[in-house]
Amino acid sequence: MKNIIIITLCAIICFVECSCSKDFLNKTDPTKIGTDVFYKTQTELEQAVNGVYGQLQGIINNQWLFNELPSDNTSVDFNPGDRGQAPSIEAFEFWNYNSGTGNIDQMYNQYYNALFNINTALVKLKNIGTSAISDSIKAQFEGQLKFLRGYYYFELTQYFGDVILITEPLDVPSKAWDYSREPQSTIYTQIETDLKDAVMLLPVKYNAANVGRVTRGAALTLLGKVYLTEKKYPDAVSSLSQVLPLGYSLVPGYADVFDPQKKNGPESIFEIQYQGGNDLGEWSSFIYTFGPRLSQGAVTGWPQSNPGGWNIPTNDMIAAYEPGDLRKNASIGLNFKSPITGDVVPYIKKYDHPHTIYGRTDDDWPVLRYSDLLLMLAESINEQTGPTSEAYVYLNQVRQRAGLPQVSGLDKASFRDKVLHERRVELAFENWRWFDLKRTKTPEELTQFLNAYGAAEKADPTVSRQGIPYSNGDYIFQAFENLYPIPSNEILTNSKLTQNAGY
Amino acid sequence: MQKKLPPFFTTKREFLVCIFVLFFSSFTFGQQKITINGTVTGDNNVPMAGVSVNVRGTSMGTTTDPQGNFNLQVNKGEILVFSFVGYEGKEVKVNKAGSVENIQMVSTTAALGEVVVVGYGTQKKRNVTGSIATVDVSKLKDVPASNVSQFLDGQAAGVSVKQGTGSPGREFDVTVRGIGSLGAGSSPLYVIDGFPVGTSIGQNINPADIKSITVLKDAVSTAIYGARGSNGVILITTKEARSGEVSLTANADYGIQNIPDSRRTKVLNGVQFAQFKKDIFMDKIRYFDSREPTIDEVPLDYRYPEQTKYSTNWFNEILNNNASYQDYNVSLSNGKGPIKSLVSVGYLDQNGTLLNTNYKLYSVRANIGGQLNKFINMGINLNGSHSNQTQANTEGRDNLVGSTLIMDPRDPVYNADGTYNAYIGGHDGVFGFPNPVQVLKESNSHYTGTNVLTNGFLEFSFLRNFKFKTAVNAGIYINSAKQFVPSTISGENAPAPRDAREGDSYSNTMNLSADQLLTYSKGFGYHQVDILAGYTAQEETTKYLEGTGNQYPDDLVPYLSSAAIKSSNSSEYGWSMSAFFGRVNYSYKGKYLFSGTYRREGSSRFGLQNKWGNFPALSLGWRISDEPFMAKYTWLNDLKLRGSWGVTGNNNIGNYSSLSFLNASNYILANNFVNGQVVSSFANTELGWEKSKQTDIGLDLSAFDSKLTFTAEYYDRITSDMLLSIQLPAISGFTSSLGNVGKVQNKGLEFAVGYKTKINQIGVWGNFNISFNRNKVLAIRGANDEIWQGSFYGDYNVSKVGRPIGMIYGYKVLGIFQNQAEIDKSPTQDGAIPGVYKYADGDGNGIISYDTKDMVEIGNPWPKGTWGFTLGGDYKNFDMSVLLTGKYGYDVDAQIEKSTENLDGVFNVLTESVNRWRSEQNPGAGKLTGTNTWKYQRESNSRYVYNGSHMWVKNVSIGYSIPKSVLHSSSVRVYISAQNLFLITNYPGNNPDVNTLDGTQPGYDDAAYPISRTFSVGANLTL
Repeated sequence: MKNIIIITLCAIICFVECSCSKDFLNKTDPTKIGTDVFYKTQTELEQAVNGVYGQLQGIINNQWLFNELPSDNTSVDFNPGDRGQAPSIEAFEFWNYNSGTGNIDQMYNQYYNALFNINTALVKLKNIGTSAISDSIKAQFEGQLKFLRGYYYFELTQYFGDVILITEPLDVPSKAWDYSREPQSTIYTQIETDLKDAVMLLPVKYNAANVGRVTRGAALTLLGKVYLTEKKYPDAVSSLSQVLPLGYSLVPGYADVFDPQKKNGPESIFEIQYQGGNDLGEWSSFIYTFGPRLSQGAVTGWPQSNPGGWNIPTNDMIAAYEPGDLRKNASIGLNFKSPITGDVVPYIKKYDHPHTIYGRTDDDWPVLRYSDLLLMLAESINEQTGPTSEAYVYLNQVRQRAGLPQVSGLDKASFRDKVLHERRVELAFENWRWFDLKRTKTPEELTQFLNAYGAAEKADPTVSRQGIPYSNGDYIFQAFENLYPIPSNEILTNSKLTQNAGY
Repeated sequence: MQKKLPPFFTTKREFLVCIFVLFFSSFTFGQQKITINGTVTGDNNVPMAGVSVNVRGTSMGTTTDPQGNFNLQVNKGEILVFSFVGYEGKEVKVNKAGSVENIQMVSTTAALGEVVVVGYGTQKKRNVTGSIATVDVSKLKDVPASNVSQFLDGQAAGVSVKQGTGSPGREFDVTVRGIGSLGAGSSPLYVIDGFPVGTSIGQNINPADIKSITVLKDAVSTAIYGARGSNGVILITTKEARSGEVSLTANADYGIQNIPDSRRTKVLNGVQFAQFKKDIFMDKIRYFDSREPTIDEVPLDYRYPEQTKYSTNWFNEILNNNASYQDYNVSLSNGKGPIKSLVSVGYLDQNGTLLNTNYKLYSVRANIGGQLNKFINMGINLNGSHSNQTQANTEGRDNLVGSTLIMDPRDPVYNADGTYNAYIGGHDGVFGFPNPVQVLKESNSHYTGTNVLTNGFLEFSFLRNFKFKTAVNAGIYINSAKQFVPSTISGENAPAPRDAREGDSYSNTMNLSADQLLTYSKGFGYHQVDILAGYTAQEETTKYLEGTGNQYPDDLVPYLSSAAIKSSNSSEYGWSMSAFFGRVNYSYKGKYLFSGTYRREGSSRFGLQNKWGNFPALSLGWRISDEPFMAKYTWLNDLKLRGSWGVTGNNNIGNYSSLSFLNASNYILANNFVNGQVVSSFANTELGWEKSKQTDIGLDLSAFDSKLTFTAEYYDRITSDMLLSIQLPAISGFTSSLGNVGKVQNKGLEFAVGYKTKINQIGVWGNFNISFNRNKVLAIRGANDEIWQGSFYGDYNVSKVGRPIGMIYGYKVLGIFQNQAEIDKSPTQDGAIPGVYKYADGDGNGIISYDTKDMVEIGNPWPKGTWGFTLGGDYKNFDMSVLLTGKYGYDVDAQIEKSTENLDGVFNVLTESVNRWRSEQNPGAGKLTGTNTWKYQRESNSRYVYNGSHMWVKNVSIGYSIPKSVLHSSSVRVYISAQNLFLITNYPGNNPDVNTLDGTQPGYDDAAYPISRTFSVGANLTL
């Protein structure tokens, strides 16, 4: 009897032991793919590349904060009632940002997260067997990833100056402390290398299913912009000129450039793709950020709206359009009056189109356009050799479409000013103004220029402040503020990281 | 075939009727019976009331009266069984003369033979060398408890209980010996009848089914639960049949709940608010334009405050006054013979004190078990329950309760036609809110929970001293939630009609565990050895399905099927663990005690390289009172000194934190959706256990015939390798990754005193416990040793090395600037004007920067002391008890006041606001700023930090037992009870225990469901 019991016990114990095999303690999330099993096929790598494009949406959604709001183009629909969240955004308008400004921190993190995914995909692409993927596809993927890496570093170095350069994914977190900021020249070298590679690797055109991916034209245009920023004018002219024969053209109606019905048209060199009208989660919602605060449905068309009132075109911007400029009406809405003050509150119209579902717009975001290319080319040629007839051709092509008379007979400096002005109105609210100002002015000129704008805005705000005075530090720009501060979180985490002067 | 009946019944029917009558009344007939009288006494020959006296093998019985006397009709030679909680049972044979000798009951505490529940077994209390507190649930029987966690309140030293919300049926926050972790959770492990159910007791255990609760506090007690033992273990034992008794008990409790006026926040009424708006408007012109405004400039809406049409007290409007509380339980138990069984049924229905909120629990419990034969013992326990809840989003300023304090009082609840006024405020610069009455009536969330909790065991005894027990536990939890918000409900600053929307979810959790336990117990000579070896494995899997719907054609069909836009989501997650463990208890002469435990445990939650952890613990005890040199202290019954040390773990982190996955990051190409994937997190294959090393020294004393008991305890727990999110440089791609870093210390003292006595006919007993816990961060992560949680306009809880966890940080308010001259000579505060707070220059650089640089420690959210005091007494047939609880020496951040004292004019404000700063000549009470600017008012600052010290009169109950002479053998007790009777505190909010954020951000009051005062009446019937 005892033996039987003991045998039974042993049997139970053995059973239990078996259930305690190694697998019992190995659990993985059944609803997700582990990184260890991914990146094995062409489809998976394509998804990794697409994922990097997907991250562009999140970055572009907030880019106006860093590229338009600090400039003379836009201001805010001041909210005297709710001061709670406003300072983190208004800081950019009033140049009150500091190393603790959350939006800078978030942007910094977003960029390096996107770079991590690019670097990861590049390594996985390099290591994948030739049987899994054809060489031509592999080249296309690599070209797209390198273009995007170049684009991100170009943005980063303009925001922060010297930044950390990382071109490989880390295998262990502890290595992240080994990096420090590289001089801007090193960053530019990396950007040029990546973009030159992209030019070589990318096709001029994709098949119908892949419209929206970056092309050789996009890489050449961005490379031209980089050279222009570096003041390498001959390189800029060379790179930009190569785009001319690729088949791009200005569309006749300026408003059509932004029409969601006419996405990826002949003028579009690179645009961020969104899609409204469904549940797929790829919609944009710019007008809900840019619409006047109390406009409810007056602008968005949806009465339940509660628009943000951010990125409001300034008086200065509105006045910048020459009489008869067809672009003004396509760019700025002047039909909404505040129910409180009765004053017009202007708003950006480029991204305001009817949409079938509340909160989900179909508007794409233009990054590189043919008119931008033409103006850059005109500028580069002017800087290299003065206002040649070729330069006038490009400038006037853009003016003609806007319904404006041709210009001629300018000297180099006036031509430069004319192009900058033309860029301001042609590319208004497309996130180039801040960089254009930084590029074309010395920090001292920029300081003078912005403080003049600030003084004017302070004297006569675009949107009434309803009696609330400015703080003493508002609208005082100091030269060092042309670079954003490295987020204090980063410096706290890694003491090796240096801060930009002045912060 | 007719069964053989007792000879004196002629028909079966007659027999059944007789049994029926016998059972439901105590009439006796047909037998030659004798009446016997006797007296039952307890310690010191004090007569004992309420002792059950039963005739063995029958359903006949009685209980003793207050003089300890009983009389019962019995047959000669029958055996009487005497039983009473806390005393050893006794059997006495009726002698031929029909009398019994005087019955002397022996208290189990006096005999120190009391057995306490410990991890994977029981132990004689006398031999316990760990730190264990037992909650005597029988003393809490009159407390209207809708959740078991309520029973812990004030009952055990070192156990801190907070009722943060008055939402019906909600579990209380329980922590044992402080917060031990900065990153992982700090809730204790709950074990129900040997089944570790997790770090939450949940809502579905019927409190009436609980027999006892044991709290394991030190390492030698909890290390047997290994990686889940760090935060303490709470062992819950459910009722089973009492040996030798058959009984039917029924309890009924009915109460009404109200929010006392003293605990309601007072805000401005309609006229006052209009006046406030008018004052703000005019003060702005006076200050900024330096002139006196004319009446015509004031907006019409509040130009003439006295003409304000409506005045609504929104908080009062959402109250459900005299909300009912009902609790009914019936249980039938059979403890006779080798197989014992119990069946109980319960129904609890608690209406909330806010409109249309309630909680209902239906439960059934059954257990059966016993000794089959010499070798085999088995049992099964089955608990099924179903709860139904209607709740609203009540917690926090942005939700219902907070919003009632700040919405425009000049709007009515209903329009003239009787329909809801759907949008409150939203004009002349006042925030718009949904109508809270309408929200409660039309858009509440409905939850159901169906739980089955079951366990069974089979135990073999063999080779004389060995036992092998195999136990299987299963918990099945099926939960659903549904909320439909009709188009008629407004949003914050978004008037109705809006899109109707709905969210539904459904989850199904299966938790399975199996234990194999081998025990050996042998005494030889002066030696006693008890050995336990075991193996356990547990696995939990949850499947989850949810759907949301938008754009309904109307509000008539509140189901996803009628939504034009639907989305759905399904997921599945789970964990597993297995462990080997052992324990050796050894005692020599019952005087020198040793206990050692060891557990090796593996968990699916950790990285490949660190799946397994080791958790050893040991303890020593010395019964000083048994030493010969103590013999002269005859008043001393027992004195024991004990100490323990051990290692426990914590695995309260996400299920897959050590792994890296892909997240969807989709895109559009050629106007078509394409799939994209990006990496979601850094994989940390090295992630391992969080470990706590705890030392405990305790002293147990019992004296004066065990009338006085006393326990003192010191502990020191250091948690290291904390499971904490480590900040990474962003260039790694991520800003954080879970790692094992840092150290936290919790040390403290605990004292518990119990006393009971009987003076003439008056019985008095009392238990007092108090604990003092101090926590300190010893290390975090090297160079950057600070964790900031919170926000600039909320508050900050900061953990710094050398300081307690989560100290409240903000600007230190020095006063209110009275004039420009004062501003000019103070450190620069950009934008400051007279009437704003003057802040201290924390970093001493002459500038108050508008970020965290000048913020300093402004409050400590951890109580210096936490205490509970239970006092009871009885006289004749009356009994009463009082429960007091309190905490002292800690701070609460009244975050809600940042809104209720926001003087922008966008919200309604506290009545206190009339004493705000208006000018240098009229500075008010010095507490509230002026109205001219928002800056330097609502940033995290010391103005909002209050001392939270308080005392609750938690419960007062008075009972009356109807004399046996009236009721024969059944016993009936009726009682009245008051719960949350009084709160004594200087804290201005209505609940200093409020805990909106919890964890490492304690003491944050952002308005919560109010705590009610409950008056109830009830009756217990025992047959």
